[in-house]
Amino acid sequence: MGVQKDRVRFNVGGRIFETTATTLAIAGRDSLFGAMFDDNWDLQPNVMGTEHFIDRNPDCFAVLLDLLRTGELYIPSNIPEKLLYREALFYGLLDHVRAAMWGPFDGNRLHLAQSIMGRAPGDGTAIRAGPDGGCCVAHGSMVHVYDWMLEEHPPISLDYQRVNDAIWIDSESIVISACERLGRDDGGMGLFSASTGELRYKFHVTHDNQVKSYTGGALSFNSDYKLFSSCKGRSNEYGIGVWDQLTGKQIDFFYEPPGWSLGDADKLQWLHGTNCLLVATLFPRKDNCYISLLDFRDKNMVWCWSDVGAPTTDERRVRDAIAMEETNSICVVNEYEDLGFMDLRSSAGVVRWSSRSRLMKGKMPDEPCYPKLALHEGQLFSSMNDSISVFCGPDWVLTSRLRNSHGGSICDFSIGGDRLFALHSEENVFDIWETRPPPIV
Amino acid sequence: MSSGPKKRNFQIEAFKHKVVVDPKYADKTWRILEHAIHEIYNHNASGLSFEELYRNAYNMVLHKFGEKLYSGLVSTMTFHLHTMSKSIEAAHGASFLEELNMKWNDHTKALQMIRDILMYMDRTFIPSTHKTAVHELGLNLWRDYVIHSSKIQPRLLNTLLDLILRERTGEVINRGLMRNIIKMLMDLGPSVYQEDFEKPFLEVSAEFYRAESLEFIECSDCGDYLKKAERRLNEEIERVSHYLDAKTEVKITNVVEKEMIANHMPRLVHMENSGLVKMLLDDKFEDLGRIYNLFRRVADGLSTIRDVMTSHIRDTGKQLVTDPEKSKNPVEFVDTLLDKRDKYDRIISLAFSNDKTFQNALNASFEYFINLNPRSPEYISLFVDDKLRKGLKGEKEEDIEIILDKVMMLFRYLQEKDVFEKYYKQHLAKRLLSGKTVSDDAERSLIIKLKTECGYQFTSKLEGMFTDMKTSQDTMQGFYAAHAAELGNGPTLVVQVLTTGSWPTQSSITCNLPAELSALCEKFRSYYLGTHTGRRLSWQTNMGTADLRATFANGQKYELNVSTYQMCVLMLFNDTDSLNYREIEQATEIPSSDLKRCLQSLACVKGKNVLQKEPMSKDIGEDDAFSVNDKFTSKLRKVKIGTVVAQKETEPEKQETRQRVEEDRKPQIEAAIVRIMKSRRVLDHNNIIAEVTKQLQSRFLANPGEIKKRIESLIERDFLERDDSDRRLYRYLA
Repeated sequence: MGVQKDRVRFNVGGRIFETTATTLAIAGRDSLFGAMFDDNWDLQPNVMGTEHFIDRNPDCFAVLLDLLRTGELYIPSNIPEKLLYREALFYGLLDHVRAAMWGPFDGNRLHLAQSIMGRAPGDGTAIRAGPDGGCCVAHGSMVHVYDWMLEEHPPISLDYQRVNDAIWIDSESIVISACERLGRDDGGMGLFSASTGELRYKFHVTHDNQVKSYTGGALSFNSDYKLFSSCKGRSNEYGIGVWDQLTGKQIDFFYEPPGWSLGDADKLQWLHGTNCLLVATLFPRKDNCYISLLDFRDKNMVWCWSDVGAPTTDERRVRDAIAMEETNSICVVNEYEDLGFMDLRSSAGVVRWSSRSRLMKGKMPDEPCYPKLALHEGQLFSSMNDSISVFCGPDWVLTSRLRNSHGGSICDFSIGGDRLFALHSEENVFDIWETRPPPIV
Repeated sequence: MSSGPKKRNFQIEAFKHKVVVDPKYADKTWRILEHAIHEIYNHNASGLSFEELYRNAYNMVLHKFGEKLYSGLVSTMTFHLHTMSKSIEAAHGASFLEELNMKWNDHTKALQMIRDILMYMDRTFIPSTHKTAVHELGLNLWRDYVIHSSKIQPRLLNTLLDLILRERTGEVINRGLMRNIIKMLMDLGPSVYQEDFEKPFLEVSAEFYRAESLEFIECSDCGDYLKKAERRLNEEIERVSHYLDAKTEVKITNVVEKEMIANHMPRLVHMENSGLVKMLLDDKFEDLGRIYNLFRRVADGLSTIRDVMTSHIRDTGKQLVTDPEKSKNPVEFVDTLLDKRDKYDRIISLAFSNDKTFQNALNASFEYFINLNPRSPEYISLFVDDKLRKGLKGEKEEDIEIILDKVMMLFRYLQEKDVFEKYYKQHLAKRLLSGKTVSDDAERSLIIKLKTECGYQFTSKLEGMFTDMKTSQDTMQGFYAAHAAELGNGPTLVVQVLTTGSWPTQSSITCNLPAELSALCEKFRSYYLGTHTGRRLSWQTNMGTADLRATFANGQKYELNVSTYQMCVLMLFNDTDSLNYREIEQATEIPSSDLKRCLQSLACVKGKNVLQKEPMSKDIGEDDAFSVNDKFTSKLRKVKIGTVVAQKETEPEKQETRQRVEEDRKPQIEAAIVRIMKSRRVLDHNNIIAEVTKQLQSRFLANPGEIKKRIESLIERDFLERDDSDRRLYRYLA
């Protein structure tokens, strides 16, 4: 008869579907289909005429079945996305759906997928991309959390204190750092559940065996489950604190040396290759810029640079810095979006500014936003006013520019989960940029 | 119509019908699921509809009954585990483990199916409430209600330990079942495996091996004991690979190592007639390899072996170098040293895996005992002398290199390298002057080795000697070319011009040369001084040789190879038949000790006695008379008449060499002191001694007393001064 042995027949909400066990196997063991056809359950998919009834929406089933068949997702306009997501969750196919929604990240192939209007008052502070496509946005003293379906979860706050930085530890946990409230043990840092918004634990700072309140600043973590934060204590206990992410216990503290700045840092970046932490304090938080690499194993500042004593023209003033381990260098940017580079192997810190045309000069918007830098798989991103520039290649050539002027200047952006999130300074708008799934041929 | 008044009563009521799910809904749904879980545990799942159960579980979570579902699951599963626990407890004897294994398989299978049904809860409800996931929950409950049940826990442990004991004593056990049970403990988490099995297992094993090792050590020798220990170790490693956690390997081998090796090390090593010393003596490479590999595993194991080996080498080495019998023959002496060194080299490379620390210990031991005999430098030089004279004949170049390298190795052990240099110079001079050196390449190769070892300074004089030899050849050619006509058929003179200082010359009185020769010598002198102005020549007649043609009364002709002294004596007999000792001494002016030795070799050595002596005694008396031995015959036409001379130095000579060595050391010690003080300016006594000793180490071991004397001497000569406030301090005076 030539009938395929592994044919499977479903009756979903009254509609008959036929497929094969092979197609269903793509769903994986941790899905309804994987469990259903396990040997434990005496179901015989290959017995002719057996029909497996499933009491679900047949339209969504058709879409999801096609997803298993082709690996691609097409949502007809008559199906609300939310319904589809719910059905996918029922079958245990939500991860498959997410993977099919957008392609692997490429800064030169991004398109604006969506713009979300926030409802929080006041300016946005920071936006952080989560590892699986969600994001969190800090507004004043609150952090709003969105999952990859861009559904908002309960917001988080640390005693309603002003938030300085937020970071995703994993897809389920966010750490936020906040200012301390005078006279109370408020502020500092806390780890929150991304889905429920509940506080799991706070990170304490101990000086001389005494727990002290402090203001948490920039955050970073490494693969050893260590969490780093710049800290300002009341009695000049400035420096970089180190905690164990899993237990929340403080394990180290790098005190700020005299004449230097660590506790006020704007940016921390863990360097996996050299096992060092980049700490950058920048204008205008301080009058001068201080960039240093800390080695915590022997409590040593292995590299440092500062513009103290140098003539401070705007062209020379570093507004953001990022370490690029592949080329052993640090990239910096000034307020005109000129890029500069420093060699990490030589201790004489000289910034080589690359001379790019200063198109922006002279036509600053009313509320300018200063450049921020990000690095992703060999592509360098720099935000300036209402656009983000993408630079590639060994000489960092400008290859793309992302612009969405609704909402004004971009005050922060973040890349993660194969998405780029850009937060605008007005109206709390943030944009989601994605790479489209790969073409068919 | 009665609707009128009713209409007045119309009022808008609050919306009472909140969407309320049937209150019994949750109970009903749970009952379905509970029933299914019972059926699954009762092996009766074929009648269940997966889709229905999945949907029901989904709905319970969706409608906020997750908590009810979860607690229901816990209590239902707990119920079944209690039942299982009872049935396992009831199992008799050997079937206990099998029953446990069977129930464990049932439980894991049921757990998997329950997890399938509750997949949606696992995915959504559990993470957001931070509860334990279904699979882990099932394992935890099994651990708490089955494995940790008071009637099962001790019984399980005893059964496992008993089976392992039985396997150790040679019985065959069901390893598959063992593996399953151990795997179950591991699945329950590392702490369960460790607490409920590994810890007691290690304790019991320690006891077992403690007892066994005591029993073994009483009835076996060292080699056998180690074989048994090795076998036990391998058995445990094999056991781990068959049915235990791989991480246990280190722990159990540590136990065996401690109980069987570490606790018995001294006794094993020093075992009478089979211990380490015996193995070393008999070159038991296999046993030595085993002892090395086993002892390496425990702390201080290798150092124990090393110490025993070291003291053994030192003791035997000391015996060797202080044995007066061995000292009689220097070549044999050095050969024995080299053999000993080869033996231990082989042991270290074959049995001790070329362990660096053992090589170092070997070197230190050799250094220790070689320097116990003050004559070692002389003997080593004599050994080289012997090899370079004749010993290397017929040997290939590589072999020569090997021998020379070995000699260099011994040389490195010497503390008094300058003494060696003295002797080497003497011996080399003899070789060069008598033309006895076999291979110029070999000579030079050794000098290069000495140079790399000790530096340019050490060999510059030795190299000077080679240069002299070469220059002398050229000079002689020049001399004969210039005087070819006059010299004709007279005796041939070969002069070797030696630079003063490079050679170990002894200031000796020039003897009276025969007339023919002294004329020739004068010619050479004027030739040489004519080409090299400003130099002075003095004849070292004690170092020369001569070839004489002698015709005896019976008409026999021989060619005699003699020393210059001997030549002078023999030439006297050209003019007369008999001379007494005094006449000879007068005519030649050879120093009496040399003359006696020279006459002894001419008259008293059988087969080479070209002279005869009256009376015919062994020793030379002042009144003895000598005449040509007309009956002299020899099978060879060429007769070499050696001088009676001990190859080794005699006691007074030794004293002299020693003295010269001491003399030479003085300026070196002074130079070192000045060098150090120049850079340090101020230094205390002990530190000077230490630094000087260190600086001179490559040449000799400086005697602190001597260094002190040199310091005093330097103070006298105003190079140094004592500090006024601290008398232990010295200051450098620029």
